[in-house]
Amino acid sequence: MKTIEVPALARVEGEGGLYIGVKDNQVVEIRLDIYEPPRLFEGFLVGRFLQEVPDITSRICGICPVAYQMSSVAALETALGVEIVPQVYALRRLMYCGEYIESHALHIYLLQAPDLLGQPSALDLAAIAPDVVRNALRMKKIGNEILKAIGGRSVHPVNVCVGGFYRWPDASSLKALLPDLEWALEAAKDTVRWSLTLPYPDLEIDYEFVAIHHAEEYALMHGEVLSSTGKKTSVADYEMRYFEEHVQRSNALHGHTANNGTYLVGPLARLNLNHAQLLPAAQAALEDANLKLPLKNPYKSLIARAIELVNFYEEAIQLIKNFYPEGPAHAALTLKAGEGSGMSEAPRGLLYHRYKIDEHGMVKFAKIVPPTAQNLPRIEADLLVLAPKLVNMQQDLATITAEHLVRSYDPCISCATHFLTLRVESME
Amino acid sequence: MNILVLGIGQSLRGDDSVGLETVRLWQAQYPLTAAKVKTEISEIPGIALLDSLAEMDAAILVDAVRSPAPAGTVIRLGPDELVSFTPETAVSHGWGVAETLHLGYAMYPWLVKCRITLFGIVGRNFGLGAPLTPQVRTVILKVAGIVESEIQSLMTDK
Repeated sequence: MKTIEVPALARVEGEGGLYIGVKDNQVVEIRLDIYEPPRLFEGFLVGRFLQEVPDITSRICGICPVAYQMSSVAALETALGVEIVPQVYALRRLMYCGEYIESHALHIYLLQAPDLLGQPSALDLAAIAPDVVRNALRMKKIGNEILKAIGGRSVHPVNVCVGGFYRWPDASSLKALLPDLEWALEAAKDTVRWSLTLPYPDLEIDYEFVAIHHAEEYALMHGEVLSSTGKKTSVADYEMRYFEEHVQRSNALHGHTANNGTYLVGPLARLNLNHAQLLPAAQAALEDANLKLPLKNPYKSLIARAIELVNFYEEAIQLIKNFYPEGPAHAALTLKAGEGSGMSEAPRGLLYHRYKIDEHGMVKFAKIVPPTAQNLPRIEADLLVLAPKLVNMQQDLATITAEHLVRSYDPCISCATHFLTLRVESME
Repeated sequence: MNILVLGIGQSLRGDDSVGLETVRLWQAQYPLTAAKVKTEISEIPGIALLDSLAEMDAAILVDAVRSPAPAGTVIRLGPDELVSFTPETAVSHGWGVAETLHLGYAMYPWLVKCRITLFGIVGRNFGLGAPLTPQVRTVILKVAGIVESEIQSLMTDK
């Protein structure tokens, strides 16, 4: 029997392992077992007041707290029938720009690039290419500064509330970021060019791509769910087409379509489905890259993130230049019982929330579907494609190869992938 | 002298909140000193730690640590020890204090001039939603006092 034991995937939110079952030299089973703790958030949100929800759900993730805030307020505003004013929407997009910038800069340079360049970590990359890492840190910092200016701090920023913001941020502190943003926009264009030179493993997969789509903007918060099959789904109907189920071997729920298929959310999906809505600089970067869309190589999600970086630096500059807040920062709320769904595009993909509230604004039910849960079956399927190579590799190489693929997804459990448990068992 | 006092941790993860709680208690116990220094209470700052340290002459970090030592043990790592510290795992997404400082020392010469002291409190239970382990809770006040002494020493040495 061939058994390769690897210790558990380390984690930010959980731990997991990869198991490969081999029979007659064929891979017959592959499992990415996630031992992350159960999503207690859906449980302890019940009984909380609705205005606590954005700040509680933001704790689900330290890298994408804004995504949780935005999806939650979208759902609760739907439940209450609240319309937000355009200035609030613009500020929310700006906040999202900050999050995309810090998340994508981190992933491109400090998570995935070391894999592609044969470096064990960003620390080793910094030793051989310090200017690259230094620029990456400066690019990331600007995203953090946007979050700090709007939300008081970069990790778990506050200020987002149902109906808008608790207060308008100081415009001058945002405008002070413009010089750095202009620098970063050029650096992001360089990042796209550099990303095209990286040695990506050959792996092409026919995904069903799923993302929020809007005809007139690169969708973050408004729009409908678009599949690369052509199917469009409103947010209210999301759960009729996209399901989560509990898989016994794992604490993580797995997403699948109504016809039991896997699908992919995230930057590849967004770029492939929404590239026509990119802003001019990102459009130019995409054209100069001379890529054949749709991109189907999961490792090349790095290129998609680089193009999105250009887009969000450009958008941040535009939004800040046009930021002249006036009037109340948030709409008045009339509490009533209701139910609402909301969604937004987290850096890692579509994030869906649904809440039921009572007449006092207390949460009676919460459902949160993160992008990682939706991608987990797809990650497993991709690993299945890779598995025949893995079983013939030495243990260490097989582990790193599997880690690299998982890391290219930038899942919220990716913090686990620096310590992957790989077990290959021959089933006789 | 520009001094930073930084509590690091995760408020929802049991003993990992001890850094945050310690700095909060220190602020409450020593408000006059707190007014003279920069204080941050930071949930998993990651690489943003480097931004917090920018333009600081000295920094006192308080964080939970894992160690075979009993829960509640307080470990002091001074500037020389932190400079030479090599993180045991080259993590990707999980930029802890050690990894971040290691990166910072490689990237920014100014960081070496910043006198950084880390007070690590050995934790036991880092589970989601867990309370502080009693042995960890009982040392918070003591560590707040240690932080105050460290600051006074820095101010005297300037």
